[in-house]
Amino acid sequence: MSFLLACPFCGPRPVDEYAYFGEVTKRPSGSPTLRELTEYVYFRDNLAGVQREWWQHRAGCGEWFLADRDTRTNEVLEVMLPESRKTS
Amino acid sequence: MRLERRDGERIDRSRAVSFTFAGWRITGFEGDTIATAAFAAGKRVFSRSFKYHRPRGLLCCSGHCPNCQMTVDGVPNVRVCTEPIREGAVVEGQNVRWSLDFDFMSLTDKIGGPFTPVGFYYRTFIRPRAAWPLYEKFLRSAAGLGALDPHAGHTRRYDTEHRRARVLVVGGGAAGRAAALEAAQAGPGVVLVDEDPRNRDLALPGVEVLAPARALGIWEGGLVPVDADTVLYRFRAERIVVATGATEQPLVFPGNDLVGVMLPDGVRRLIGDYSIRPGERAVVLGSDDETLAIADELMDVGVEVEKVVDLRDVRPRELSAQGGKGRVRRLVLNGERYGCDLLVASGGRQPAYSLLAQAGARVEFDDSLGVFVPTELPDGVEAVGSVTGAGLPRIAPEPAYEGKGKCFVCVCEDVTTKDMKRAIGEGFDSIELAKRYTTTTMGPCQGKLCHLSSIRVYAEETRMFESAIGTTTARPPWAPVELGLLAGRELTPTRRGSIHWRHQEAGATIQWAGPWKRPYAYGEHPEDEVRAVHESLGVIDVSTLGKLLVEGREAVQLLERLYPSRFGDMKPGRIRYGVLTSDGGRIMDDGTIARLADDLFYVTTTSTGADAVTAWFQWWNAVWAYDAEIVNVTGALAAVNLAGPRAREALGRLVEDPDDVSAEDFKYLDAHELVVAGVPTLALRIGFVGELGYELHFPSPAGEHLWDALVGEGARPFGLEPQRVLRLEKGHVIVGQDTDSESNLYSAGMSWLPKLDKDDFVGKFALEHFVQREEKEQLVGFTMEEDVVPAEGAQIVVDGMPVGRVTSARHSEAVGQVIGLAWVPGERSEPGTRVEIQVDRLRRGARITDGAFFDPSGARMRS
Amino acid sequence: MNFLSPSRCASGTLASPLARSLGRVGWSSYLGEPEQVRDLSLEGVVEVRGNASAVSPGAGEELVTLSPRRAFLFTGGDPAEVVARVRGQGALAYDATGALAGIAIANERVLRRLTDLDLDSIPTAGPFARVSAVFRRGTDGWFHVYVQQELGHYVAEAVLDALAGLEQTTWR
Repeated sequence: MSFLLACPFCGPRPVDEYAYFGEVTKRPSGSPTLRELTEYVYFRDNLAGVQREWWQHRAGCGEWFLADRDTRTNEVLEVMLPESRKTS
Repeated sequence: MRLERRDGERIDRSRAVSFTFAGWRITGFEGDTIATAAFAAGKRVFSRSFKYHRPRGLLCCSGHCPNCQMTVDGVPNVRVCTEPIREGAVVEGQNVRWSLDFDFMSLTDKIGGPFTPVGFYYRTFIRPRAAWPLYEKFLRSAAGLGALDPHAGHTRRYDTEHRRARVLVVGGGAAGRAAALEAAQAGPGVVLVDEDPRNRDLALPGVEVLAPARALGIWEGGLVPVDADTVLYRFRAERIVVATGATEQPLVFPGNDLVGVMLPDGVRRLIGDYSIRPGERAVVLGSDDETLAIADELMDVGVEVEKVVDLRDVRPRELSAQGGKGRVRRLVLNGERYGCDLLVASGGRQPAYSLLAQAGARVEFDDSLGVFVPTELPDGVEAVGSVTGAGLPRIAPEPAYEGKGKCFVCVCEDVTTKDMKRAIGEGFDSIELAKRYTTTTMGPCQGKLCHLSSIRVYAEETRMFESAIGTTTARPPWAPVELGLLAGRELTPTRRGSIHWRHQEAGATIQWAGPWKRPYAYGEHPEDEVRAVHESLGVIDVSTLGKLLVEGREAVQLLERLYPSRFGDMKPGRIRYGVLTSDGGRIMDDGTIARLADDLFYVTTTSTGADAVTAWFQWWNAVWAYDAEIVNVTGALAAVNLAGPRAREALGRLVEDPDDVSAEDFKYLDAHELVVAGVPTLALRIGFVGELGYELHFPSPAGEHLWDALVGEGARPFGLEPQRVLRLEKGHVIVGQDTDSESNLYSAGMSWLPKLDKDDFVGKFALEHFVQREEKEQLVGFTMEEDVVPAEGAQIVVDGMPVGRVTSARHSEAVGQVIGLAWVPGERSEPGTRVEIQVDRLRRGARITDGAFFDPSGARMRS
Repeated sequence: MNFLSPSRCASGTLASPLARSLGRVGWSSYLGEPEQVRDLSLEGVVEVRGNASAVSPGAGEELVTLSPRRAFLFTGGDPAEVVARVRGQGALAYDATGALAGIAIANERVLRRLTDLDLDSIPTAGPFARVSAVFRRGTDGWFHVYVQQELGHYVAEAVLDALAGLEQTTWR
C-alpha cells in the first residue's frame, strides 16, 4: 500500500503517514439493547466499494478527517472535515 | 578468445585485473565483467541448473537469465555477466556438489524416472509422514540457488533515499532517451534509470541519468523503488515513462539449454563490447531479420557460420541441439546434422510490459505480432518504444519443436515442455494454477524469458487461443533485489527521557519498556531499592508517563464524557484517579487527572499510552466538538516520583518555604505549583508506590539538575523492578499487565469507579449491561503458602483443572510472603479461598486475598 | 503554567538532552569544516492551539501553521512571554521549548535519506526517520527539524548515521 491520501491541510501524502480508524459508525443513543450495542461495537459493513472512513494525519498536522475511499481500488473520491470542524 | 583491438570496445587493455573463478586464477581487463573475462579465458560453464544440475553457460549475457548466477565474495546469486570485474574477487559456483565441471548431483538429470517430473516432491515425498523433515533437508540442499553464509555478518551497508521526479523514464534505449530529452525541454526534474552498466557515463542535457540501476516496480501513488546497488532510491514521480523495450525470447527446442546456445544480444555484447570471439563454428536459428543478421557479424570476427536457419521458410519436423558433457556439438534439423560450438537462437522479442502491468495497465495478446502488449495505461504512466509492441517482428516459430532431449520452457526452474503438458494433463487447467504447480516464470528471471513461451506451449496443448488464456499477474520486484537493500538502515524509534544518561552513569540496567528505554534497577539487588522507599527515600524517573493538557470552556464536559468518573465537582488543585474504557466497556488505559483551573486539566496516562490516548481524545472531540483543546506535553516535561517517609522533609529543603509542602497545606491528592531547586514544578501528591510521595513534573531540559538535587537530598534511585514490587504490594493494577482486552472495571475490582448516573460517557452502555451480570472472572490478590514465585501466566488449578492465571507475582520483603494478582472464576474470588498454582512441575497452595497486601488503610501514603 | 517553561528555570539548571546524546555518538566530529548539524533544542518554541489565524508573529518569529487549529511559533524571545502575548490575541498557547528536540541540518540529502516528504512543501509537518516531525528552513537555508524531545537522541543518531552513509556512497 503506497497510495496517496490528501490531508485537508497538508495535501497529498503517502498513506503510511496516516492512522486509519475504520468506517464511520453510528453510535447508539439512549439505552441500547445488548444486541444493538454488540452490533455497534463489533460489527462493520466491510464494504467492497466506496465507504466513508475516519483518518488521522498522525505524522503530519495530527488532525482527524473523513475520506470516501473505494476499498477495491484505494481511490479516494473525497476528503472532508467532520461536521464538528467545518465552521472553524 | 580475445580479438584484436576493435573500435568501440569497452575494455582497457592496459589495465589487467585478476580474480579467482571457481578456483582458477583469471586475468581480464578493466571494463570487463566477471563473465566476459572468464569467457575470454576459455570458461564456458558458469552454473548448475536448479533441479537437474545441468551445466549452464552464458545465455542472455544481459543480466536477465539465471545461467551466470554465482557467489562473489560471499554474496550469492550475483549475475556475473553484468558484474564488473574487480581485483582479488573470489567467484564461486553455487548449487554444486564437487565442481562446476563435474557436479555429483547431475545424476538427477540422468536417473530421471519418478524422481524429477513436475510436482514430484508433492507426490513422492509425502509418505511416511514422519520422514518429511529428512526429505525436506535433502531437497533443500539438492535444489535451489546460492546459500547465504549465516556467519558473514554485515558486509555491505545499504541506504534508502527518497527522491522526487517530475518525469521518471525507465529504460535508456533510443525511445527512453528521446522521451527524457523531450521532457527535459519542459523543465527540470527529469530522471532516466537504466540497468545497463554501459550507460554509466551516458550524458543527456537536462536529464539526470542513474545507471546501472533497476526500477523494481511501480506501486500506487507513482512510487518507483530503484535498485542502485547499495542505495535504494524511492522515487515519487508525477509522470512515469516506461521504455523497457522488448526482451529476446529463447527458442523452445530440445537441448535449448546446452552450454553454447545463446541469444543474439548476448553474442553481440561479447563481440562489440568485449572483443571476444564467441565461438569457432556457429549455427544461427531465427525468424526475424535482426536475428539472422548476426551471421554476418559472426563471420566478420572469424567465426565459421555452418548454417543459418530462417524459421519463416523452414518448417522443421525435428529440431534439436545435441552435445556432450553439457556443451552443444551440433544442431539436428530434419535428420541433417550441423556441427557447431555456438548456437545462436532467438524466438523473437516480447515487450517487457511488467512495470506497466503493475501500474494497472491491461495486457492483451496481439494476434498480428504474436506477443502480449500493454493497453489502457493508467493516468500518469506512459509507454514508448518497443515495450508497446511498435516495430517488433511477428513471432513466427512454433511454440516448441520436437526432437530428442529435454526441451526447456523455463531455465530458471528447470521446467520442460513435458512438465507443462503433464501439469495440464493432471488438471491444472488455468494458467495461474499451472504456473504455481510447475513454478514456471517464478524463478530469478521473473518470467522475462519464459512467460511468453509457457503461454504458447499451454495454448498449443489446450488448443486455446493465447488471447483467451491471458497472462499471469505481474508482481514486483521486476528484477531480483538483495534483501538488505529492501531493509535499508535499521530505524527503531527509541524514546529516552531527559534524565536517561544519569541512569546510565549510575550503572542502571537499561531495558525496553514499550517504546522507551528505562532503568530496570540500579544494581544487583532491586530489593534494596524497595527497602529504601519503605524506610527512607527513593526517587524514580517517570518522565515516560503520558502527559496531556486539556483546556477550554468545555474541558470538564469532554473529560466527563471520556472517563467513567466525575470531574465537575473537583476543586482546582485536586487530583482524581481515572480509567479509560472503550465503548465495549473494556479497560484501555489509566492515570491521574489533576484540575489546575476551572477550564484546565492535567492528565497523565500510562507510559505506553500517551500517543494512543491523545489520538483517542482528539478523535472523540472531532466527533463531539467540545470547546476544548488536547495538548500532548509528554516530552515537554520530565517527571520523577519522590517517595518514602522522608519525602516531605527532603522536598521541604528544596522549595522556598518548607510550609508549602506541609501535611496541612499539601494534602494527599493535591496538585500544587512549586519551585523546586530553582525549577518551576507541578507537584502531584499521589500514592504511586504506597508511601508518602510527590510526583514532580517540570521542564525536561532541567531533568538532570532536579534529579541531582533530589539524589543530593539522599533519595535513592529506584528502577522499574522495585517499582513493580512496590505497586504490587499495594495491589495496584497495571493496565496491560494485569488487565487484557477482555477486562472491565467490574471484573478488575474497580466497581466503585464508574458513575452510571452520569448522562453519557464512553463505555456507559456496556457498563450498564455488565453491572447487571455476574462476571465470569475476577482479578484478585493471592499469597503463596510457600516461598516460591509463580511465573506470569502460571495456571490456577482447582480439582486438577486449570481455571485461571497469574498476571503478576513477586516476593515482598515488607509483606514477608510471595504476593501476586490473578484472574480466577467468580466463585473462587472470595478472600480466604484456597487454590493451587502451577509452579514449574509442582502445584503449590495459595490463598485468595483482596489484593491490599501492604498498609491496607493507606495510612503511610496519606501521612 | 510556569512548569512548562524552561525560561522560568533558575540559571544553570538547563541542559539540552540532545547535546548529551550527540556527544556520545561522535557529534563533535561533524562540527568541524564543513559544519553539518547543529542543536536547536533550547531555542524558543510555542505551540498555538484554537484560533491559530488570530496569531501574528513578531519580528524574528516564524509561525508554522499545521492546521487552522494548530501551529508552532518559533521565537528568539522569551517563550513564556510569547505565550502570554498569543493568549492575549485570542488563541491558546503553550511553551513547547522543552517539548521539541531540534536539529539543524545543512545537507539536503540527509533529509532525503530519512524522509519522503516533498522538501518544497516545507514549512510543514511530516515523517522523519519514522517519527513525526515539524520542518522549517532557517534563514541560512539549513533544514530545521523538530521532533518530540524524547525521540531526539534517536533522531540525532539517525542523522549522523545518514551522514556517514553519504560519505560511503561514492560513485553516484
